[in-house]
Amino acid sequence: MSAEAAVDVELKDVRRAFGATQALRGVSLAVHAGEVYGLVGPDGAGKTTSIRLMAGLLLPDAGQVRTLSEDPAAPRSHVRESLGLVPQRNTLYGDLSVEENLRFFARLFALSKEDFAERRARLLDITRLGRFTDRRADALSGGMYKKLALACALLHRPRVLLLDEPTNGVDPVSRRELWELLYGLVHEGMTLIVSTPYMDEAARCHRVGLLYAGELIAQGAPRELTRAHGVAASDFEAVFLALVEKHTGGRAA
Amino acid sequence: MHPLLVQYRAVVVKEVRQTVRDRRVMALLTIAPLVQLFVLGFAVNFDVRHVPTVVVDQDRTVESRDYARAQLAGDTLDLKAELRDEHAAEEALEDGRASVALVLPRDFQKDVLRGQGAQVQALVDGSDPTRSGVASDAVARFAALRATQLLQAQARAQGTSVPRAPVALVPRVLYNPELSTSVYVVPGIAAMLLLIVTTVIMAMGLSRERETGTLEQLQVTPLRPGILMAGKVTPFLVIGLVDVGLALSVGAWVFGVPLRGSLVLVAVATLFYLLSTLGVGLLIATVSRTQQQAFVGGFLFVLPAVLLSGVMSPIRAMPDWLAVVTYVNPVRYYVEVLRGSLLKDAGLPDLWRQLVMLAAFGTVVMSVAARRFHKTSA
Repeated sequence: MSAEAAVDVELKDVRRAFGATQALRGVSLAVHAGEVYGLVGPDGAGKTTSIRLMAGLLLPDAGQVRTLSEDPAAPRSHVRESLGLVPQRNTLYGDLSVEENLRFFARLFALSKEDFAERRARLLDITRLGRFTDRRADALSGGMYKKLALACALLHRPRVLLLDEPTNGVDPVSRRELWELLYGLVHEGMTLIVSTPYMDEAARCHRVGLLYAGELIAQGAPRELTRAHGVAASDFEAVFLALVEKHTGGRAA
Repeated sequence: MHPLLVQYRAVVVKEVRQTVRDRRVMALLTIAPLVQLFVLGFAVNFDVRHVPTVVVDQDRTVESRDYARAQLAGDTLDLKAELRDEHAAEEALEDGRASVALVLPRDFQKDVLRGQGAQVQALVDGSDPTRSGVASDAVARFAALRATQLLQAQARAQGTSVPRAPVALVPRVLYNPELSTSVYVVPGIAAMLLLIVTTVIMAMGLSRERETGTLEQLQVTPLRPGILMAGKVTPFLVIGLVDVGLALSVGAWVFGVPLRGSLVLVAVATLFYLLSTLGVGLLIATVSRTQQQAFVGGFLFVLPAVLLSGVMSPIRAMPDWLAVVTYVNPVRYYVEVLRGSLLKDAGLPDLWRQLVMLAAFGTVVMSVAARRFHKTSA
């Protein structure tokens, strides 16, 4: 990724608490256009909070969040027209069919009939959901549901796509398919920010930010991080554990 | 089509699909109000008839027997037993076998014939004020009538005439000449059911979106909160109007509620009323995190709104400080429009204040709900 690429998403010293729990403690990061950025960390590290802040679903207690150079939480923000979100939870309408969900979200983005027909055909093709258009969303398998959520988030050709643990609860075959799909999107010029608790998925990203207890403890290309720690490129877990141990002085081991 | 209209239509279509597919919600919106109207229309009945009565005839003469028989001839009082003394009558009132006891004293006939003013005692169980009030009135009315008849008979026997009373009351009951409770109560029940159904369904519907996360998904689209709210409210406005139509039909056919006034006026009032009830539902949803909270919140509003509306008891019977609260209760105004228009053929010149209040309440509550929704969804 070239250093000159525009910054699509930026967090500057962002803090956010939920009651007494500090979810983010001064996180700063920048994601460049066309990049696959992985937010990697265990449960409770602050991944979902970061994604929700980037999407404008949360306001920071302190610091600044910019998505496509705008405050994503501003009431009249235009970011939403260029942003896609695949949340961790199943947040589509389970009592509507695949077709009805696609049509509903296409209308919210005011897609023309022709545009919708073209996008629908393409997305059903790449997600292989074409045979299930009449099936209710809540009757889909975990993997198919994620693909539908992805298709709904991609209908309007977003510039930035946020994915919160998209492979959580998905079988290995569907996981691989999902990642292939995501790479395809990057080739089209989209910026992807993916949160994941799986260390093996970190290696699939251009760059990763390692989150631990609300802090960004390391950032960089996966290969650089593994090389710096003298481990095999596939052993990203060893890097993460070493960084956590260094950060906590061995208390978290 | 303008993008906002496209979004609005999308939300309306989604809401209709989800509502129609959810059989429980459909039943709650259509069948339940009709069944409840039917049942409550019969159950809520202030007509007092067939009050169980015991008679203690201590005189046992032709005159005393005639008096008791004539008193019990109508359908207000029903003879349950003839008892030997006043003590037995009190026992019957105490254990609930009777609500009224008529005690005709010894020498009743003698006093009547001598014109000395025989005294009949009526013991009435006052634990149910409505019932005892009507029974007391029936007994007093009959005593006055009987006294006049006896005076006329005595005058005829003496060849004289009874002087006419200087003032005579000629009551004529308008709008509900048979004084049927149903005619008065059914419009109130329709308003009450509409309130319960629309407020609770609306509050729970939006809370469900919040609880399941679909609301969050909508928040990352360009859909504006105002359009979302308008789209969510529209199907329920239509369903509410249909509900009122069905309720008025059942009221007319089953309970004989007249449809004297303008149905257009009723429809406009219903629309304003639904804006208020649905607005309150949305407002409740903005302060509820779960559907359960929304359900409880809905009932916390509905119960006082019904009790302070005049549906069940007249507002003028409330203490002044409580009656003031009814001025900010949309149910009050809607019930006034329904009763005024349906029963009295009251038109816009009579009911414009109620329409203005309903419109004002609907607008204010919708605006507050929209503002809160903006705030809580950011």
